Amino acid sequence: MSRAAAGTRATGEGLDRQGGLRRDWRFWLLLVALLGIIAALFAPRIVQTGNVRDAVLVIDVTGSMNVRDAQSRGAPATRLDAAKRGARDILAGLPCGSRLGLGIFTERRSFLLFEPAEVCENFAAIAGSIDDLDWRMAWEGDSYVARGVHSGLAMAAGLKADLLFMTDGHEAPPLPGGALPEFDGKPGEVAGLLIGVGGVDPSPIPKFDQDGRETGFYAEEDVPQENRMGPPPEDAASRAGWNPRNAPWGSEAATGTEHLSALREEHLRALAAQTGLGYVALGNAGGLLAAVEADTRPRPVEMRVDTAAIPAVLALFCLALLFGLGATTSRRPERLPTR
Amino acid sequence: MNAAGAFWDGLTRGWGVDHPAMLALLLLALLPLVATAFRRRGIASAGLVPDDPLSRVVGVGLRLAGAVAIVALVLGLAGLHRREQSVEREGTGAHLVLLLDRSSSMDNSFADRAPTGDQESKSAAAKRLLAEFVARRPHDRIAVAAFSTSPMPVLPLTDHHEVVDAAIDAIDRPGLAFTDVGRGLALAFSYFAEDTDEASRAVLLVSDGAALIDRRVQEALRDAAARTPVHLYWLFLRSRGAQGIYDAPASGEDSAQANPERHLHLFLQSLGVPYRAFEATSPQAVAQAITEIDRQETRPIRYVERIPRRDLVRPAFLVAALAVALLLAAKLAERQLRPAGRGGVKEGTDAIDLRRAA
Repeated sequence: MSRAAAGTRATGEGLDRQGGLRRDWRFWLLLVALLGIIAALFAPRIVQTGNVRDAVLVIDVTGSMNVRDAQSRGAPATRLDAAKRGARDILAGLPCGSRLGLGIFTERRSFLLFEPAEVCENFAAIAGSIDDLDWRMAWEGDSYVARGVHSGLAMAAGLKADLLFMTDGHEAPPLPGGALPEFDGKPGEVAGLLIGVGGVDPSPIPKFDQDGRETGFYAEEDVPQENRMGPPPEDAASRAGWNPRNAPWGSEAATGTEHLSALREEHLRALAAQTGLGYVALGNAGGLLAAVEADTRPRPVEMRVDTAAIPAVLALFCLALLFGLGATTSRRPERLPTR
Repeated sequence: MNAAGAFWDGLTRGWGVDHPAMLALLLLALLPLVATAFRRRGIASAGLVPDDPLSRVVGVGLRLAGAVAIVALVLGLAGLHRREQSVEREGTGAHLVLLLDRSSSMDNSFADRAPTGDQESKSAAAKRLLAEFVARRPHDRIAVAAFSTSPMPVLPLTDHHEVVDAAIDAIDRPGLAFTDVGRGLALAFSYFAEDTDEASRAVLLVSDGAALIDRRVQEALRDAAARTPVHLYWLFLRSRGAQGIYDAPASGEDSAQANPERHLHLFLQSLGVPYRAFEATSPQAVAQAITEIDRQETRPIRYVERIPRRDLVRPAFLVAALAVALLLAAKLAERQLRPAGRGGVKEGTDAIDLRRAA
């Protein structure tokens, strides 16, 4: 006991009998740092589950999408431009591994341009494809939006993807009696989102000639103001000049505001409720992406996460502490021991 | 823009980190230059220590080891990697526009009926064979356009064949009503308007019929063909009973209205660009035609090969480990300078070095 005490005293500043050094705090910090780095070198990658989305994006390219009452980057833009901007935001915001397909809608059908493809690897091609969308791709002037959504749902079901449908909800010709056509599928079988594009105030719809030059706006008599297919409405008998055989809709031409177009939010909400989709009005990228994430189904994928950072941070902390303390404490050497 | 920007560009073109904010921690690497891992001891007189260049070098080396350890750790934590590189190589291939007919007649079989049982619709046969064709041509840049009642750009020229496959997969879905070949061709030519590459350019038109081409569209097509030299291939999927492109009917019946396919063929021949038509009446004939096109389009092309990103996190940690191990070894070799008369000190050169280092 006394020998040990004497030894300690004799070694003074930490030398033991063997001439070694009693390890000081600097040594232990270095050792922990080295062990931390070695642990980081051999750290395993753990498998975590991440969520990606598979979706078909269908964009309405009918005439009413040419109305300039939407916003793109703060400037007035046509609804189609705003929709393309939104499509770019969705493409950029989806996590890698997600797949996005693209389709267009006119007449009464959603027409698939390409099946869902991985978004990060094929970003430039998909973005270029979205940029190339044009109202001239429309093959007919009709715009049966509800039927288009129904066919889009059938298409998405075949692709095992969710449906994102961008439209202003303007039915042309108007629905008979304002009633939605029946939906054959099962509501909610395909998840997805209706994205409403356009402003709430009725605006004139630009008209183009056969060479694609703008020639003004549609007037009241240019478009069907009432759908006269199928049986006449219940109240037809009260109309002026009604005759059950010769004039079942009354004798006067229908009047209305079908030549003006606004975002038909109520119609789209009703359509969304009928088909089990969500609805959101096209806004900023953040809100749009949040809605897409909320209303599409996640597909779990395995993601490998590196755990090396944890021991490496510990090692870095030790080194920073070691040199930080050394730098902040007095730079003057310890005093020469006297005696 | 300026020299600093150019320098930064040069630095970041090949290399990158996942978390740039972490790089702020690089400032910690200055600490080992002002601090040390060793005990600092005072000595009575500087004259006691002879000037020793070796000791100086070792001292500087140990300080640097500390700095290197911290730099390597921070870079590793920030996710240092070598970016995906693209290397331009020479191969054989072409810039190719696939112009696909999406009219509803493509949904019928070659017997021009709704396909039953083991029969394949024309669009399904085209889809299968085009997918094989694309898979055989890895270096091509391919664009896809569709036409029916109106022309539709589907994909711009791209190297990524996965999305091309996705576009080809979509062609056997129900088609639209009409066949506007003329404007479809105009769209296909327009893909090459901005393509300045010297590669061979080809348009592969796949259709099962033709229609009249508007006179103005004809003129536009002649202009486009004169401006952009392309190779034109027409894969005509001929249904049973349909008129062929080569049979000349009796005089008097040979009008563009009655024989649109034959007259499209004559028109394409008159464009003044290399042109070949393949008339296929069965999936086997389509396969032969596609093999022939594959054989024809084998001129040299410069294509871009991607070398995938390489993570350098582990190598960075390895460097840090070596640097810290060096410091630790030096620390283990540290000897205490003791006042005279205490005895028992085996002071080797190591100790002198370290003292100097400190």
